[in-house]
Amino acid sequence: MKTMMKLISGAALAMALGAGAAHAQVLFWSTQAKPVEETQKMRDQVLSGFEGGVDYQPQDDGPWLTRVQAELQAGSGTIGVLGALHGSLSSLAADLVDLSDVDLGGAKVNEAYRELATLDTGEQKYLPWMQATYIMAANKKALEFLPEGTDLDTITYDQLTAWSKNLAEKTGSPKFGFPGGPDGLKHRFFQGFLVPSYTKSMVTKFRSAEAEAGWNKFKELWQYTNPNSTNYAFMQQPLLTEEVWVAFDHVARLADAFNQKPDDFVAFPAPAGPAGRGFMPVVAGVAIPKTAPDMDKAKALVAYMLKPETQIATLRATNFFPVVEVTLPDDMPNSVKLSAPAVAAMTGAEDALPALLPIGLGDLGGKFNQVYTDTYERIVLGGQDVRAVLDEQADVLRGLLEQAKAPCWAPDAPSQGACPVE
Amino acid sequence: MTAILADAPAAARWDSRRRAGRFLMFAAIVLLCAWVLLPIYLLIVNALSSPNEVTGFPKRMLPSFDTGSISFFINFAGVAKALWNSILVAALTMVLSIGIGAPAGYALSRFDFPGKEAFRFLVLMTRAFPLPLLALPLAVMFIRTGLDDTPVGLAIVHTTLALPFAVLITFSLFSGIPFELEEAAWTLGCTRLQAFWKVVMPLALPGIAASAVFAFTISWNEVFAAAVLTIENRTLTAFLLQSLNVSPLYLKFAGGAALVVPALIFIFAVRKYLFAMWGIANR
Repeated sequence: MKTMMKLISGAALAMALGAGAAHAQVLFWSTQAKPVEETQKMRDQVLSGFEGGVDYQPQDDGPWLTRVQAELQAGSGTIGVLGALHGSLSSLAADLVDLSDVDLGGAKVNEAYRELATLDTGEQKYLPWMQATYIMAANKKALEFLPEGTDLDTITYDQLTAWSKNLAEKTGSPKFGFPGGPDGLKHRFFQGFLVPSYTKSMVTKFRSAEAEAGWNKFKELWQYTNPNSTNYAFMQQPLLTEEVWVAFDHVARLADAFNQKPDDFVAFPAPAGPAGRGFMPVVAGVAIPKTAPDMDKAKALVAYMLKPETQIATLRATNFFPVVEVTLPDDMPNSVKLSAPAVAAMTGAEDALPALLPIGLGDLGGKFNQVYTDTYERIVLGGQDVRAVLDEQADVLRGLLEQAKAPCWAPDAPSQGACPVE
Repeated sequence: MTAILADAPAAARWDSRRRAGRFLMFAAIVLLCAWVLLPIYLLIVNALSSPNEVTGFPKRMLPSFDTGSISFFINFAGVAKALWNSILVAALTMVLSIGIGAPAGYALSRFDFPGKEAFRFLVLMTRAFPLPLLALPLAVMFIRTGLDDTPVGLAIVHTTLALPFAVLITFSLFSGIPFELEEAAWTLGCTRLQAFWKVVMPLALPGIAASAVFAFTISWNEVFAAAVLTIENRTLTAFLLQSLNVSPLYLKFAGGAALVVPALIFIFAVRKYLFAMWGIANR
């Protein structure tokens, strides 16, 4: 034992002293494409074409932010390029380099996203990298239970509820599924889908009678929802095991189901409410922190990420859609083939009502999400009175917006000063 | 004769009671074994099955030896290096925490000094602060001092986590070895150091090894500090755990196996010393 310990410690010390080689590749520090298969594809198919090499490292949000902050505070760093959702990048605005001088070649970047990426500073704080949204997916077995007169492309919350009721009653168990687990993206459903669909607002009409009607509808739907929904994170899994026949989730979190059994599933738009078909586009961006070790190389990588070829490769790897103008080739994966028409039907619908990710909240974004999650937990899981919960949570929401002094964003009408909660 | 006849039912009763007792004990053993072994077994079976079998129903009880998921991990860029880093950091942690913890434990058990109780309490305090809270200032300091992204730096952090256990385990260990043995060695001509080395150390070694194993597993399982403080030299847990959390089921199983099996092998190799902590093979 003693000699073994000596051997191990000797070898360990030798190795430890030898480690620490210089960092030649650009370090791409990202919160996206975290599942191992996506990471693998990002490295092999997307980033391998970049000259000079990229070290792609996906992270949970916590370590991701801590590391960036540490490098910024220390004043020197190893991270070259940051990749994250709009909300994560907006909390770092002051420490990001202006990217307006990056030469994008001929790539035509979506103007609305480009504007969003200035974070109201007048500088290009990040460049949009990829986009996604949330859609519905259903097992084809569920289609025979559709209530009469329901067209999936124009489905409403009433029809979805009737359908789920049918399914629950005729198959003997609830078949609607919802990503309500700790890692599920439930808050986005309430912010960007349910509440806007009933109120044409995310914030201002939070406690209106219309919002109350929306929450009551969801409460009704919950009776026909698989109770395991409080554990689900990625709906592709319960769809594949057929625990759930109809589900709502992020396109990237449904992709595996579409890819593995393309003939078993259909994709369709999120439902519409009385005020329209609320949906939330999701934008991820690439940015460069002030402490990047090699600024030119980092900017070259950002430009590389926005090339149309790279954008298509990224779509294949992550199921996030391009943010520059591209023509998609025919041989896309099944997940793209299935979800693209559903996304198009939703964004192009007559009653389409895009609800943007929160803007101007900075690091209060997490608390903003918590308001919606708490509301859901109290109303739906706790069974508390809808009116009372909305009144209380509206106070929290108002406090947050006033603290952040954030003006309204779509679908709320623009405001002078902090967005009001009526 | 009558006495024998009268005794027979009593003996039979005694016998059946003993049988029942034995049955209960075996049942408990089987239950405990299943408690530990079944999850590991399911992990291995699913790691060695194809994706369809993993999501399918009914579940198979025997692996189909489909190595698709496993070979994905072996070929996943950086796994081998991360595994090596994990072993390196864990070994360093083990050496450091015993090197620092065992003398502290010895001092606590043999000497009376002012502030002893406070010291024992303070040692535990290092576990009172959650790592996510400490990680930011630590990372800033590490970047400034150049310890950032080195196995030694990470091992130092892990040592802080493992130290309370090392100190308290070795403290009770040394307390259990009679002081008279050391005194006897002194009267026979040993110096203080020799007495420790030749008399106390051999008696304490199995327990020390056990607390070293503890340090090893603490380091092996730690994610947050590893994720923030290393980039090039990631440990296996930091490298895989966050990604596995959001990966499809069959890869979760394969990755789980990749994380568990090395630790199992290590524990199996040192099981003799681990048992020592519970007093089974103390000599």
